[in-house]
Amino acid sequence: MRISSNTIYEASVNAMQQQSAKLLQVQQQISTGRRILTPADDPIGAAQALQVTQAQTLNAQYSTNAGSASDSLTLEESVLGNVTSLLQDVRTTAINAGNGALNSTDRAALATDLSGRYQQLLGLANTVDGNGQYLFSGYQGGVRPFTETAPGTVAYNGDQGQRLIQISASEQLPVSDAGSDVFQRIPDGQGAYQDVFKTIHDLVQLLQTSPGGAGLANGLSSAQTNIDNALSNVTAMRASAGSRLQELDAVQTAGQDRALQYSQTLSRLQDVDYAKAAAELTQQQVNLEAAQKSFVKMAGLSLFNYL
Amino acid sequence: MGISIFNIGISGMHAAQTGLITAGHNITNAATPGYSREEVIQTTNVAQATGNGFLGQGVAVKTVRRLYSDALSGQLTLAQAQGGQIDAYNAQIKQLSNMFGDPSAGLAPALSAFFGGLADVASHPESIPSRQALLSSAGTLTARFRDLDQQMSQMRSSINSDITTSITSINGFAQQIANLNQQIVTAEGGSALQQPANDLRDQRDALVASLNQEVRASVIKEDNGAYDVFIGNGQPVVLGGQLFGLSATPSAVDPQRVMVGYNNGASISALAESSLQGGTLGGLLSFRRDSLDTAQNALGRVALGMAQSLNAQHALGQDLNGVMGGDLFSVDGPAVVANSNNTSSAAMSATVQDASALTTSDYLLQYKGNVAGNENFQLTRTSDGRTTSASFSSATGYPQSLQVDGLTVTLSAGAAVNDSWTIEPTRFAASSIRLALSDTASIAAAAPIRTAAALTNTSKATISAGAVTSVVGLPLPAAVTLTFNAAAGQFAVSGAVPPVSPITYSAGSPISFNGLSFSITGTPSNGDSFTISRNTGGSTDNRNALALGLLQTTKTLGRNAAIVGATASASFNDAYSEMVSQIGNTARQTEVTAAAQANVIVQAKQALQSLSGVNLDEEAANLLRFQQAYQASGKMMQIASTLFQSVLDLAK
Repeated sequence: MRISSNTIYEASVNAMQQQSAKLLQVQQQISTGRRILTPADDPIGAAQALQVTQAQTLNAQYSTNAGSASDSLTLEESVLGNVTSLLQDVRTTAINAGNGALNSTDRAALATDLSGRYQQLLGLANTVDGNGQYLFSGYQGGVRPFTETAPGTVAYNGDQGQRLIQISASEQLPVSDAGSDVFQRIPDGQGAYQDVFKTIHDLVQLLQTSPGGAGLANGLSSAQTNIDNALSNVTAMRASAGSRLQELDAVQTAGQDRALQYSQTLSRLQDVDYAKAAAELTQQQVNLEAAQKSFVKMAGLSLFNYL
Repeated sequence: MGISIFNIGISGMHAAQTGLITAGHNITNAATPGYSREEVIQTTNVAQATGNGFLGQGVAVKTVRRLYSDALSGQLTLAQAQGGQIDAYNAQIKQLSNMFGDPSAGLAPALSAFFGGLADVASHPESIPSRQALLSSAGTLTARFRDLDQQMSQMRSSINSDITTSITSINGFAQQIANLNQQIVTAEGGSALQQPANDLRDQRDALVASLNQEVRASVIKEDNGAYDVFIGNGQPVVLGGQLFGLSATPSAVDPQRVMVGYNNGASISALAESSLQGGTLGGLLSFRRDSLDTAQNALGRVALGMAQSLNAQHALGQDLNGVMGGDLFSVDGPAVVANSNNTSSAAMSATVQDASALTTSDYLLQYKGNVAGNENFQLTRTSDGRTTSASFSSATGYPQSLQVDGLTVTLSAGAAVNDSWTIEPTRFAASSIRLALSDTASIAAAAPIRTAAALTNTSKATISAGAVTSVVGLPLPAAVTLTFNAAAGQFAVSGAVPPVSPITYSAGSPISFNGLSFSITGTPSNGDSFTISRNTGGSTDNRNALALGLLQTTKTLGRNAAIVGATASASFNDAYSEMVSQIGNTARQTEVTAAAQANVIVQAKQALQSLSGVNLDEEAANLLRFQQAYQASGKMMQIASTLFQSVLDLAK
């Protein structure tokens, strides 16, 4: 084939340009650390990376959500723990009050102690969280859930709403319990409900007014039953909060595993393999140098050199 | 005798001189674009018949011809036209691909950040800082939509100016071809010897090649040596010495869109885009038509779909002030543009009735006239040409509507036959999306209702938290109470507006009325009551925020309206990644094709160059050859001179 002088130059320059472009591509991959510089480099990988990134972000969000769910549940669990020990104290007091050796003055002293407990319980029922929101008011975090409208009569101003938090793609975990369920809808075992505030207030009144004898014994016995019901209600609530906390732990562990998996997938999709890229860089460099050297040799050949 | 030798010597010197001139011309033009090497065609002079046989009379130069092949040149020109198209397309799609290539700059991070903000509000619905952060991230998201769209709009306007530049170049090349036609006809026709004007022809062929890099043009040769040049569907741009110029002209359906106008001497009309293939112009037009329009529509579809789904859910919620949620985002709906050639002024309109079924295509609505008392309209989806017809009796009257792909097109009276309108359902959504809220309290994180079991209930039956499915009838005018009648096994409903008849109880089954939906479980006792009331003061209720958050992964787009029962197939992020992947695929494909085409061009060029290109070594050899021929002829004349001197000396 007849070769024109232009062809010699153009072909060589073309080849060098192609080599340079490849060299630049590898160099950019190395300097950015990204295998996919534009979606054109790997359209499927680029789309997958977007999907995995969203899954990764969502997973991180679930982990944040789980953290905040854990905060709420831990607080509730600890308040319910305080309520439990308070009720246990009240129960102990009720049993002590049945001691025949006590006179009415002694019982009045116990009553004073119990009044303090009553106020303490009201305080616990009106606990606020770190953001100043009432824990037991349902959806109405800004509303004080329990107010004493008359001695021994405590009104519930909240509602029966349970706050939920999204802790995984498919699960919304309840992170609060309505105050009415904890303190006022205590099943009495006979198909009716009782109110723990009223129970304690009634006990205080009994101790303040009862002359002793059978009336006292009967009153104390029913108070103990009521307190036991309240205790088992709170314990059940506490156990439920505890099991939700355990579930959170499990979900968070699974989330951490997924996070690792996502970042590995993303790395595989997006990140450059440095060893491979470095080898490729050297190879491209050698190719370009070879093209340059051979061009110089070829361009030096001319019959005019001998004329 | 001596005279004859002189003559032969002179003819040889003349031929050698022509050869040297031609070799020199070749050497000096070795790098001239479009130059074809030339060679001297020489022949023997007519021999002198003598009794001793025919005596040669030396050499004559017949012509200087260029080594050129129409076939090879035609192959190269075609390859270059195709290459020009692919290169122009590639340059544009690369920009688009780069725009969406940076994982930190595309839409996805802004989308994730917005839903992250929403999740934070769901965790702390009462927190003003959380709400403020959500508003900021929502603002950033809309800004990202607008920014990406703006970049595409900028590409659109730079394509407009590129088209104008290309048209100017085409006109320039066509003008020069027309001028050269005249010069060539004059030069060749004027010469009695009918010699080819090699260099002028080279220049003209180079111009045809340059023209083809702008747009595919075909050439027909006239007998007098002139070229006629045609583009598109055979529109002449050069006929001999006459030029028919192109001009940039606004599209009849979109004044912002520059089209190629053809001047036939009487009027200017826009050439069909699809008829202009090849070259930079073909590449720009097909990129705009096939990739840019689709990409901008696809981004708009995500914007429109997202705004509509989130607005719809937000409207079902209640904000911190206890008011039902307003719009979260504002966004422009479909644009309907009447063709400027329409003879009527009938205006059509379109609205999005179901964003999930929107496509990324534009639509063309045509009025086909009244046939036998029936009004006929046709709607064509431009992406695949799928048509939907509407035909209704004139007696029914206007307005009528036509529904396709989630769009409702409202047809109005007064259209003239063949009037058309372009409908761009999502083109302007991304550029127009804005945050419609500014007050943190206006974020409707709560549900507007709450449910309760009466404290006086004797059973443990419970009622679910409840949900609302329609804004009609909200906020609740009064609390709704369900009281159980054990004997009838029914709940009597009081307070509902409009009133609701007693509901037969089935444990756990959903109960729905007046847009409310909930369920009751357990075994209610006679007289047990449950209430559904306004969620007054529900500042820590996050139910609507949770529902909004779920839209991140819910499939809300891409439902195929043509298939009955088809469901949405893509979330916002899916639809966005589909678009990125489509751009990436096209870019990759174009890149590969461009590289392959570059090789085709190189091969075609080498084939032509191997015939027409100058080889300097060859010319150096020619120089030596003709130099020696010249010297030899000179020597011959010296001998002739000596011979002549011998004759003169005889006379001394």
